[in-house]
Amino acid sequence: MKNIWKKDKGFVIFVALAFAFPFIFSLLGQTSLTEGTNKFWQGQLINFFIMAVFAMSYDLLIGYAGMLSFGHAASFGGGAYTVALLLEHVAPDILKSYQIFIGSTNITEIVILIVCFLAAILVSILIGLLFSASAMRVKGAYFAMLTLALATALNLLARATDFVEWTGADEGMHGVPVPLWINPTQNRLTFYFIALAFLVLAYILMKRIVSSPTGRVIQATRENEDRARMIGYNPVTYRTLAFVIASVFAGLAGGFYALWTTSASPSMTSGVTTVNVLIMTILGGMGTLVGPLLGAGIMQIFSQFLYTWFGARWPLVFGIIFVLIVMFLPYGIVGTWRLQGFKIKQGWQRLLELTKTKETPEK
Amino acid sequence: MKHENKKILYIVIAILVIFGVLYGLYSYAGQEAFIRTTLSGLTLGSLFFLVAAGLTLIFGLMDVLNFAHGSMFMLGAYAGWQFYTNPTFIFGVLPLVLAFVAGIMVIPLIKPELVRLKLSDSWQKRLPKLLYLAGLIVGVLAVLKFDIAGLAETAMVAIVTTSTGALAELSPQEPLLRFMWRPVLLFISGALVAAGVSKPGDRAEITAPEPLKNRLVLPIILLVLTILFTFVRESASELVLLMNGNLRFALAVIVATLFGFLLGALIEITMIRPLYIRPFFIVLMTLGLSFVLRELVQVLWDPLAYQMVRPPLFAQPGRASTIAEWLANGSSTISIAGVTFPTYRLFVILLGVVMFIFVTLLMTKSRLGMIIRAGVQDPQMVEALGINVKRVFTIVFALGVALAALGGIGAAPFLPVQPMMGDQYQMQGFITVVIGGMGSYVGAFAGAMILGMARAFGDYFALKLQLSPTIAEASTVIIMIIVLLLRPQGLFGKKD
Repeated sequence: MKNIWKKDKGFVIFVALAFAFPFIFSLLGQTSLTEGTNKFWQGQLINFFIMAVFAMSYDLLIGYAGMLSFGHAASFGGGAYTVALLLEHVAPDILKSYQIFIGSTNITEIVILIVCFLAAILVSILIGLLFSASAMRVKGAYFAMLTLALATALNLLARATDFVEWTGADEGMHGVPVPLWINPTQNRLTFYFIALAFLVLAYILMKRIVSSPTGRVIQATRENEDRARMIGYNPVTYRTLAFVIASVFAGLAGGFYALWTTSASPSMTSGVTTVNVLIMTILGGMGTLVGPLLGAGIMQIFSQFLYTWFGARWPLVFGIIFVLIVMFLPYGIVGTWRLQGFKIKQGWQRLLELTKTKETPEK
Repeated sequence: MKHENKKILYIVIAILVIFGVLYGLYSYAGQEAFIRTTLSGLTLGSLFFLVAAGLTLIFGLMDVLNFAHGSMFMLGAYAGWQFYTNPTFIFGVLPLVLAFVAGIMVIPLIKPELVRLKLSDSWQKRLPKLLYLAGLIVGVLAVLKFDIAGLAETAMVAIVTTSTGALAELSPQEPLLRFMWRPVLLFISGALVAAGVSKPGDRAEITAPEPLKNRLVLPIILLVLTILFTFVRESASELVLLMNGNLRFALAVIVATLFGFLLGALIEITMIRPLYIRPFFIVLMTLGLSFVLRELVQVLWDPLAYQMVRPPLFAQPGRASTIAEWLANGSSTISIAGVTFPTYRLFVILLGVVMFIFVTLLMTKSRLGMIIRAGVQDPQMVEALGINVKRVFTIVFALGVALAALGGIGAAPFLPVQPMMGDQYQMQGFITVVIGGMGSYVGAFAGAMILGMARAFGDYFALKLQLSPTIAEASTVIIMIIVLLLRPQGLFGKKD
């Protein structure tokens, strides 16, 4: 714990604030914990937490492994569809026949939910492997196009009318029966803390992965593939690993997103979702884990305010900001801060020295 | 086996496979369905080619994956549709665009002096950004309070031209006295942006020495055009609307293509050129750009789908039995070997084939094509030989965008004109490029035709076997994966 505090003061403070947020809000606004504006802002934050994990997983791909994949929505949507399909079509049958209670908690529901997420992990691993198997042989632009095409194929599958009884085709699934104790409409506060815990766990795990020897090798293959191979690491293996890990986190985020919206729709697997998460990552700064978190937060807030200011066409403003950031702040907010922070500190020191030298002649 | 023999063997096998597949489809579907499906496939293939040709050239030469290509396709359709139904918007905005481009084109005149400026290192870094920002600010000032939404709305007022030439009322343009300063400011803005991009004070920059006369031609032409179009904003649109429908359509095609060319050049110079040092960000840039353009179109014309009226040559109901009869009557369908087929789609096929021939001639016979082919092989070497590679980059990018815009206006009369219309074609364009091999226009043509056929026959089988049309869309992805597994560099691509 001490280590985390030392390295990630910002994150710890953020988590503490997020944890305390509903209580502080209800104290300040004299509103109840589970209703009104408090509930609304909890919803906003839940969305932010989930998208932050999604954005961080994307950053594992493009920032750390240097693979510009345009198919990340496939993992996200895959996870969402897995959870939603299981909850909609499998869970009710099981719940009809078995119900095990311990005290007043329904064990079956919890087990089913865990199984759902395990299945989501499995599906996202499979998606990751499928993508890697077909796309890992090519690089750069080919890779980007191939992943995009594969994700499109998955999007087509989600929209196919052949499976309309299962997936709802273009409409998607809505009103998925989420267990009551975690249902975001009835028990939003519980869901809030679970989503927060998910974010914290995902962050710590990803941080661990990134700074582990394996993570270092992944970054090395980004910097110079040939050298990594020379040292004796097989870049393909490590890039596949990075792809699968990112896919798993995206799948989990997708699963949570399905729970949160109680739906799964084809738009979750579409290119727009990938572009959104790409914007978050670039906005915050590639190659850092805090960056995508910040980017997701900014996007969440912006989409709220820009919507009220500019109406339905707010993405125009957002797009212009994105283009400007790509042109003038290519490393994103966090990246630029880390690059320029040193200079700012230097500037401070120089300023301090200047005041000192002014004082010395008077002696 | 010798290399040559191997090549011949592959070609023979490919021809046999193609004929085998076609014969199999022919005997399965029967003559009528086969011909109809093939023609639809060729129509789609032509459009795919127009999108993919630009993509593959741009990628082959400068390693830029243009994610805004679908938006260019869409913008081409919008520009042509605007010109055809009501050119008020186009003529209202044209002087502004021309002024901006003229401003950009002035900078190469003084570039040698700019590059030789004596600047300290920190100013060398700072000045381009400052100039660029100043240019943007002046640009925004120039279009402040410009009623662009009002201009855009004019197209939504459907205008009926009868044989007597009765027109719906033309919307008035902004009075000249107020409008005048906008082009002037945009000219300054363009010059500032271009000055920022041209790296003042950077002596490592190569400037090709060219006689002053040659350098003066382009800016002067643009300036004259700007002034001209500033004065004829209202009368020109009236003139266009009084024209014969077919002529108007032909002009619309040319206008859309030229618009694409201008837009491509603008984008390359102002937005992509500063990013060549960070290729990763070019992709992001074009992605953001496509996002912005799509939203911009929705701001101007609302998120609606419009149907462009077909030009008179393709509009009269009735079936022509020969091409001469079609040309005389302007029938909407024509009978080909007993199959009724829309004449307009025939025109699209023709467009695709003509453009393929044009690109082939350009690449093999002209000096520019020679430079492009050499540039695909080794851009550094070409630059070392004293060729202004930057200008070639701009031309190729503009050419690619122009082709996409041409595809857009070609598609407009039979596809709904809407903001998302380019996305699907961009996706298919990518797949085409991957199948055909990056940088090969022949590959783009072959890939486009294969994909078009796959889509058409996929739709046919889906209908016949009562599957969902998803099969047709998915078939292209499957073909791509098969090609990539057998030949990772694409059908006509060269090995790295």
